[in-house]
Amino acid sequence: MPNLVKLLKTVFFIEIIKGLGLTARHLFVRPITRQYPHEKPKLPSGYRGAIAHLRYDDGTEKCVGCALCEAACPSHCITVVSGEDPHLPQRRIAVEYFLDVTKCVFCGFCVQACPVDALASSPEYELATTNKRKLFMDKETMLQLGDRYFPVRAPRNPPYLQNRWAFFHQMKEAGFPGMQEK
Amino acid sequence: MVQILVALVQIGVVMGLVMGHVAYLTYVERKVLADMQDRLGPMEVGFHGLLQPIADGLKLFFKEDIVPAGANKMIFTAAPILVLIPAMIGFAVVPFGRDSLTIFGVTFHPFIVDLHIGVLYILAFASLGAYGILLAGWSSNSKYSLLGGLRAAAQVISYELPLGLALVGPILLSESLSMMEMSKQQGGGFWAWYIWQQPVAFVIYLICAIAETNRLPFDLPEAESELVAGFFTEYSGMRFSFFFMAEYANMILVSCVAASAFLGGWQPPLPFLDFIPPLLWFLVKVYAILFFFIWLRATLPRLRFDQLMAFGWKIMLPLALANVLVTATIVYFFQ
Repeated sequence: MPNLVKLLKTVFFIEIIKGLGLTARHLFVRPITRQYPHEKPKLPSGYRGAIAHLRYDDGTEKCVGCALCEAACPSHCITVVSGEDPHLPQRRIAVEYFLDVTKCVFCGFCVQACPVDALASSPEYELATTNKRKLFMDKETMLQLGDRYFPVRAPRNPPYLQNRWAFFHQMKEAGFPGMQEK
Repeated sequence: MVQILVALVQIGVVMGLVMGHVAYLTYVERKVLADMQDRLGPMEVGFHGLLQPIADGLKLFFKEDIVPAGANKMIFTAAPILVLIPAMIGFAVVPFGRDSLTIFGVTFHPFIVDLHIGVLYILAFASLGAYGILLAGWSSNSKYSLLGGLRAAAQVISYELPLGLALVGPILLSESLSMMEMSKQQGGGFWAWYIWQQPVAFVIYLICAIAETNRLPFDLPEAESELVAGFFTEYSGMRFSFFFMAEYANMILVSCVAASAFLGGWQPPLPFLDFIPPLLWFLVKVYAILFFFIWLRATLPRLRFDQLMAFGWKIMLPLALANVLVTATIVYFFQ
């Protein structure tokens, strides 16, 4: 009997008709693709694009040239030459600061390593270029990036960090359930 | 003299119509496939990509025409033409409508010529197309082309037999080989269409038509994942577009034959719908079959070559033969 059912199914193309039904249903599903250059994606708040340099409110740069970012960088794409500011003696700055975007893995470790909060991950992701030299950023281009994407120099507290802290406080109030158990 | 002029005008109109349809069939295919795969398809050229076929045509027209080293130049050049001509020439006997049009004493028929062996004529030219494919594959001096050409020849020959035998059913019922006569016999409503008397033949015809035009799920001659592009791997520019046009013209031709032989041609489905021009009914039926071809392409994966051959010789051919036998017996005793 199962053989007969199978035979009838084959003769009347039941499986193929089922498949045709599936494709016909998808004819009325909204396309999930995006018309990219015309229609930009909405980036999440914690997006890590190209690294940018930040300034203080008076316009002076934050970076003190400590080279902790260079130490933290896993792909060795940052080069810092530390020195003294010629106009403000005894104030240390990065005389030279290079970031090779072709090597950068956009991990954001430099941003976390910075003791004076001089670096930030900008949402800039359209880095494609016909000239590879343009992907070798110095301090000036990184400061421009910072001016473009972080015009307000208030403490940065993106929603993903707020959510993380909210979760942490909630757990703390609940006395960290499950921590004492083995 | 006037006769020749009329014939030339008709050929021009039909050729223009077919080429226009070929161009926009590529667009419709891409759009429908994209929709079924939740994509958007061509969107950039014109409103929703409507000018895409024109852009494609211009691009192909201006592309460099490469003849590979070691290719047999004469056959390499002739092959695309040998494929395109049989695909276009079949439209000569397709009846597009019912009424002849008389302007200033000159009569325009809804067909270029009403051959009394119309079906045979189309079948004969459909087989000639296999020569072009085989020659293209052989003259390219490339293993992919040769394998594609051989596969195409084997496939076209083995699916031609059931295709022809499936058409014997409507021929027996209408007692005519003329496409016009066949369409006339199916008048009076959709219940008079031969699809109800010949359902097996219709299914066999559709399957063989897909195999005959080398379309998915039977597109082994140009299987991208195995043979790059099959028999037209080495072709570029206008010659490539000739193969492309031939494939789509063949698709339209087999749809026209299916509409005339099984779906009543230009006959309206219900008698009171007579006021709508017969040409529109014919086009609706052809478009429905073409949409089905694209729909099937979006649904089914490609067959393996031995499956294809076994299916053609062990199932399609005996079924078609049995169908002819039963139809002939019934027609002999009851009509």
